[in-house]
Amino acid sequence: MTYEQILLSAIFVPITGAFLVPLAGRVSRFLRNGLSLVLILFSFSCSLVLLPHVFSGQPVFFSYVLPLGLDFVFVADKLAVFMSLVSTLISSVIIFYSFGYISHYENQNEYYCMVVLFLGAMVGLVFSANLIFLYLFWEITAVTSWRLIGFFRERKQVLKADKAFLVTVFGALLMLLGFVQIYQQTGTFVLTHAALPNVAVVLILCGILSKSATLPFHTWLPDAGVAPSPVTALLHAAILVKIGVYVYARLFISSYSIDVFWQTAVPVIAAASALVSAGAALVETDLKRLIAYSTVSQIGFIFFGLAIGNEMALVGGLLYILMHGLAKAGLFLCAGIVEQNAKTKNITELGGLMTTMPKTAISFLLCAFSVMGIPPFGGFFSKYMVFSGAIEAGQVWISLVFLIGAFMTILYLFRVFNMVFLGESKGHEAKEQDSSMVFSVVLLAILSLVGGILIAFPSMLAHDTAVQMLAKVIP
Amino acid sequence: MYSWLVLLPFLGVIFLNLPSKTVRYKLAFWLSLFIVVVQLFFVIVPMSVAWSRILDSLGTFLKMNFSVDSLSQVLLFCIGLVALVTLFVQREMAQDEKQMFNFANVLLLVLAGMNGIVLVRDIFSLYVFLEITAIGSFILISLDESFSAFEGAFKYIILSIVATVLMLLAIGLFVLVAGSTSFEAIGRAFADYPNVFLIRLAMGLFLSGCFIKAGLMPFHGWLPDAYASAPASVSILLAGIVTKVVGVYTLMRVVVSIFGFDPTLRTILFLVGIVSIVFGALAALGQGDFKRMLAYSSISQVGYIILGLGSFTLLGLAGAVFHLFNHAIFKSLLFVNSAAVESRTGTRHMDSLSGLSQRMPVTGVTSILASLSAAGVPPLAGFWSKLLIIMALWFSGFIWVAVIAVLASVLTLAYFLKFQRKVFFGTIAADFNNIKEAGFGLMVSSVILAAIIIGVGVLFPFIFSNFIVFISPLIGGTVGT
Repeated sequence: MTYEQILLSAIFVPITGAFLVPLAGRVSRFLRNGLSLVLILFSFSCSLVLLPHVFSGQPVFFSYVLPLGLDFVFVADKLAVFMSLVSTLISSVIIFYSFGYISHYENQNEYYCMVVLFLGAMVGLVFSANLIFLYLFWEITAVTSWRLIGFFRERKQVLKADKAFLVTVFGALLMLLGFVQIYQQTGTFVLTHAALPNVAVVLILCGILSKSATLPFHTWLPDAGVAPSPVTALLHAAILVKIGVYVYARLFISSYSIDVFWQTAVPVIAAASALVSAGAALVETDLKRLIAYSTVSQIGFIFFGLAIGNEMALVGGLLYILMHGLAKAGLFLCAGIVEQNAKTKNITELGGLMTTMPKTAISFLLCAFSVMGIPPFGGFFSKYMVFSGAIEAGQVWISLVFLIGAFMTILYLFRVFNMVFLGESKGHEAKEQDSSMVFSVVLLAILSLVGGILIAFPSMLAHDTAVQMLAKVIP
Repeated sequence: MYSWLVLLPFLGVIFLNLPSKTVRYKLAFWLSLFIVVVQLFFVIVPMSVAWSRILDSLGTFLKMNFSVDSLSQVLLFCIGLVALVTLFVQREMAQDEKQMFNFANVLLLVLAGMNGIVLVRDIFSLYVFLEITAIGSFILISLDESFSAFEGAFKYIILSIVATVLMLLAIGLFVLVAGSTSFEAIGRAFADYPNVFLIRLAMGLFLSGCFIKAGLMPFHGWLPDAYASAPASVSILLAGIVTKVVGVYTLMRVVVSIFGFDPTLRTILFLVGIVSIVFGALAALGQGDFKRMLAYSSISQVGYIILGLGSFTLLGLAGAVFHLFNHAIFKSLLFVNSAAVESRTGTRHMDSLSGLSQRMPVTGVTSILASLSAAGVPPLAGFWSKLLIIMALWFSGFIWVAVIAVLASVLTLAYFLKFQRKVFFGTIAADFNNIKEAGFGLMVSSVILAAIIIGVGVLFPFIFSNFIVFISPLIGGTVGT
């Protein structure tokens, strides 16, 4: 197979395969579960095959010319391969976890179909180098996340699913207007290096902020916590919310050039978002909402890293995507184990779970350390590089604000660990029942730790990627 | 030879009403099916010269000014497709053969009327076919003789007659000015004397007639009642194609062939378009009866077509025609879904329904596809037509119109999500635990329509080049892209 074919099959095998998943489900659940995992692992291994080739400095292109600037263009550069590796790696773990978590519920066929379709669309989005196709995959992820948030189908969940869908579509439509303006200026939807007018930047930022659940479009994310835990982990912690961040990196750093003004404006928005949601996380009592607010807060750090625009901060931002994805997925999946076994999400009713579910507790703690940024966990390095880059760029005041945010992260994560796992039990006894679920969280915790200890490898990838992005080699 | 598309349904009606009751009752469905399939075949497969020579010589005795262009061709295809779906649905819903027979007769009349509207190039013949279609529609709405259906039909008759009178007046003025009834002659008169009061008056009168017939706001009073009270199959026909041909196509045709592009006309079209889009969507959001909701949604979607037309660019016109096609497909599909739900549960009130997709998976999935296509979510067909319209508006400098049109998509999505949430997506209510999937005819129709939505959407970039080439001769490519 040529590299172009590998690139295309990384996208279209999961997308077409997703529709076979419900059919497989009619035969047997093992076939269906196996097929879903295989499809995602396939996409993962395609990215893995592309990795050495692309990082040796030869990006892979696929392009098919169509009228009206709608050229069908996919590019696998370092940024895209890095991102697709992160997404497919985390989602492989999450789907393995789902085997245990989702097995007691109805509509499993739809669940697996939507998860695989989501992942396929995500990979498609990552490799797209045409704004309209990027938008197309973006909306497919929105549709699948709508179905997945409403998975339990009670009125409450479906309302929240509709809210998430409407908020993100509202942002996406504004973004589409921005794309139309870019088209008017450049005559094509394919990515170029043109300088963007500020109106287009504002319109596109609305889309990016709504998808990445950043102030002022963040409220859908905590509400979406009504979804099954693997879904919240997959969509709202590890992958979906990173779409906005990724598109920011793809459009505003590695392709179009934007005004220097945004190097200050975006960190200010991100700082507000990080502080407000960290404050919300400090007082929240619903376990999953709390972790969701933490996600909103951490996304602010990623935007901070990306927006500053020097190499160090950019490397930090990219590493942050990986480390936060691993650790936050781990936290959500631990929350899922707690919720399913203790039958409550309210942290004031929980306590003393350390003794009955030690593996979950330890994994939760390790992932929390990574999110807090405690060495030698992966999260420390990413946070350190973001701050170091910001100081280098002279953004001292905003860095101080973010430092307060980082401090609050430590507070609320210790608070939640304390309330759920330490102290006396408050009547909700729980045991770790399903081994595939426990295995997944342990794996994510170990990955967070190993990612920090062996930081040389991921930071080398992130560094190469950052260099390529800043040089604007692609497309 | 296209005159056969008008002649054939008429012959069909005559044939169906020959003596021998048993035979013609049995034949009604198959004969109409045959005629509709012939129409689809004619449009899809380009005719060879030999074919057309034979048929032309036969058809010349119809002394009318028939001609076909790309716009007509798209419409003919939509008419055939929606009529086909309607037939399948009616076969499923009809209580007995007599009902089917009555329906088939009137359907053929309406078919002839619509084909005539699309094919004529003469304002008076257009008027004649408009009336044939309108009268057929009145009968169809009241076909099941219920009280509410009579009420809906009555409203439609009254407002339709108002529209007819306005149009007839306008036609009188056209003849006065141009001395002829052909589009070409009137168009020339319009171009020669653009600012004569009589011409302006005639234009205004005719436009108002079109707006009423298309059910655009604020001329929409009849439409929700007519759509909601009509029998299931008739709602599909009305919403999917009849009002689009009678109102929207007529409007497009007179704008393109007669009025030409002038700024006042553009302002009127934008105003009516925006009002229809926004208020249609808001009204749809407030409905409790899903057929009424779909009716208001129709008003809103027609607004997009009008905006595309109003941009007066090739791109906008292509978008408008394409959205007309898409609307015919997804709105028919939604009405098929609503027919399925109504026939199985016996209610149209969204509040008393819940979670039906667990028992009716095909209806559930196809309704999601249709809803998302209507809301302009990619990669479904409706996204592309809206994109073309938005791009056309933006590029011709009407940025605020484009912004309103885009943001109204959020409203569209909102009411479709409400529809999904209340009817399909949710936990199944205890009363509906034993319902079954809709009948075969409904399922086949919905699967075919859903396949078109996906197919056209996914392949759109590949067919676009053909499409724009297809539309461009219509306005001679003189208006910038």
